[in-house]
Amino acid sequence: MTAPRMASTPVRRGLSSLRGSVLMASLRVFVVYMAALLLQLTLFVEVRVVGVAPELPALVAILAGLLGGAQKGSVVAFLAGLMWDVYLPTPLGLAAVSFALVAFGLGSITEDLFHDTRVQTGLLVFAGTAASVAVYAVLGEVVGQRGLLDDDLLKVVLVSSAFNAVLSLAVAPAMRWAVWGGRAREPSADSAGAVARIGR
Amino acid sequence: MAVAQRSRRSRYRLLLLILTAVTLLTLDFRGYGPLETAQSRVRDILEPVVSAVDVVLGPVAEVWTVMFSYNDLRTENEQLQAEVDSLRSADIRAAARDDALDRLLDATGVTYVDDIEQVTASVLRDSVGNFDDDIVSIDVGHRDGVAPGMAVVTAAGLVGRVETVDTAQSTVTMISNPNLVIGVRLIDTGDVGLGHGMAGEQTRFVIDTGLRWPETGDLSELPAISSAVVTAAGSRYPANIPVGRVAAVEPAEAGLVQLVTVDLAADVDDLGFVTVLLQVPVDTAPIGPDSPFLGEQSP
Repeated sequence: MTAPRMASTPVRRGLSSLRGSVLMASLRVFVVYMAALLLQLTLFVEVRVVGVAPELPALVAILAGLLGGAQKGSVVAFLAGLMWDVYLPTPLGLAAVSFALVAFGLGSITEDLFHDTRVQTGLLVFAGTAASVAVYAVLGEVVGQRGLLDDDLLKVVLVSSAFNAVLSLAVAPAMRWAVWGGRAREPSADSAGAVARIGR
Repeated sequence: MAVAQRSRRSRYRLLLLILTAVTLLTLDFRGYGPLETAQSRVRDILEPVVSAVDVVLGPVAEVWTVMFSYNDLRTENEQLQAEVDSLRSADIRAAARDDALDRLLDATGVTYVDDIEQVTASVLRDSVGNFDDDIVSIDVGHRDGVAPGMAVVTAAGLVGRVETVDTAQSTVTMISNPNLVIGVRLIDTGDVGLGHGMAGEQTRFVIDTGLRWPETGDLSELPAISSAVVTAAGSRYPANIPVGRVAAVEPAEAGLVQLVTVDLAADVDDLGFVTVLLQVPVDTAPIGPDSPFLGEQSP
C-alpha cells in the first residue's frame, strides 16, 4: 500500500509544478483570451446595446494588468491587442500599444490597492475600458485615422465600459484561474507582495 | 531597492513594447507585404473556428435581435409598406422617370460595369469592433480572384472597396468610411474631384478637393442639385460607377473651392449581397502633378 503512494508523490509534484509553470499560465491565458476573441467576433457582432459592443479583448488585457501586475500584465495586454489588431481596420499595433499602456497604468496604480470585491473590480474594469477606448481613439487620430474622435465616442466609451464591467463578473474568475492557476496571488508577483484578491 | 529595480524593469519593458508597436505601425503604413500576409494567415487559420462558433451562437444572437429590435422592425415594416403603396400608385410616373433617366445615362455615356468580370458575394458579418461601422466581411477571397483595392458595387452603385483579402473571405471598406478617398466626376459639369464619407453620416459623401469655386461668381457653373456623380476615369476604380446625387454645393476655404455634398446612391446599411468587380486596381493614379487624384488613397 505504501509503494503506490510513494510513486504518486513525484507525479503529483510534477503535475503541481507544471500547473504552476509560466508555460501553463500562458496557455491558460491564451485559452481565456481566444474564448473572449471568438465571442467578440461572433456573438457580440449582433448582441449590442445602442449599437455598441463590449470590448472583450480590452477586458482580458485590463484584467491581466490588474491580476498579473504592470510588468507581466502589459506584455499580455500587448499580445491581446496585437491579436485584436488583426481583425481591426486600423493599423497593426494600435490596439496593442493602447492595451499595453492601460494595463501597465492600471497594474502600477492598483498594485498596493486592496480591490477585493466584485464591485471594486467592476469599477476598475470600467475605468480601464474607458481609458483603453479613449487612448485607442486618440492614438488612431494621431496616426491619421479619420472618424475615431467623433460625436459617438462618448457613447462608445460609456456603453462599452459598462458592458465590460458587467462581463467582468464572468471573465475575472476565468482570468484569475488563468493567471494564478486557482491559487491566491503569489508573493513574487509584480505587486511586491500585495495580497489583493480580485472578484472573490 | 528591489522595488525600484522592478519598477525600472517594468518601464523598460513598456518602452520596448511601445517601440515594437511603433515599428509595426510604420511597417503597416508602408504596406509591408509579409506583415499583411501574416495577418491574412492568422485570419485564415481562425476562420473555421470563428464560423463554427458563429453557427453555435447564431440562435442566441437572433434571440437578442428579436428581443431588442422588435419595435424597430415593426416601424421599419410599416414604413416599407407605406413606401410600397406609394410606389404602386406612382407606377406610371415612375416609368416615365425611368425612361428619362435612361436617356440621361445614354447621353452622358455611363456604361455601368458591362465589360468587367464580376463575382457576387454575400455579406458574412458586420463590423466586429466599435470603431469600424463601415467595414463588412464578405464570403469571397483569393480563390475567387478577389484582390485588395477592387471596387464593390450593388445595382444602385458603388458601395466600397476590397480592403483585406484572405483565402475564402475579404473585408470591404464602405464608401461611407471617411478614410476611403475616391476620385469622382460630376456629370453635370464634367469636373473631377476627390471625395470621402462623412463621419456619423452613413448616407452622405462629401467632395472637398479638386473643385474650384467659379472665379466669375457665375453660379450656373456649379453642379445642379440632384445631378449624378460617378467614379472618374483615371481614378483607382473603374470609371462611371454611380456614386450618388448632388445634395448641396457650398463654398469652402475662403470661397476658393466647392464643397459638394452627395447623397449616396447605394444604401450601405444592412447589406445582404454585393458584387465585386474583378478589375485589377491601379496602384497609383496615372496622372500629372496637378491632378486631384494625387490625394486618392485607401484607409
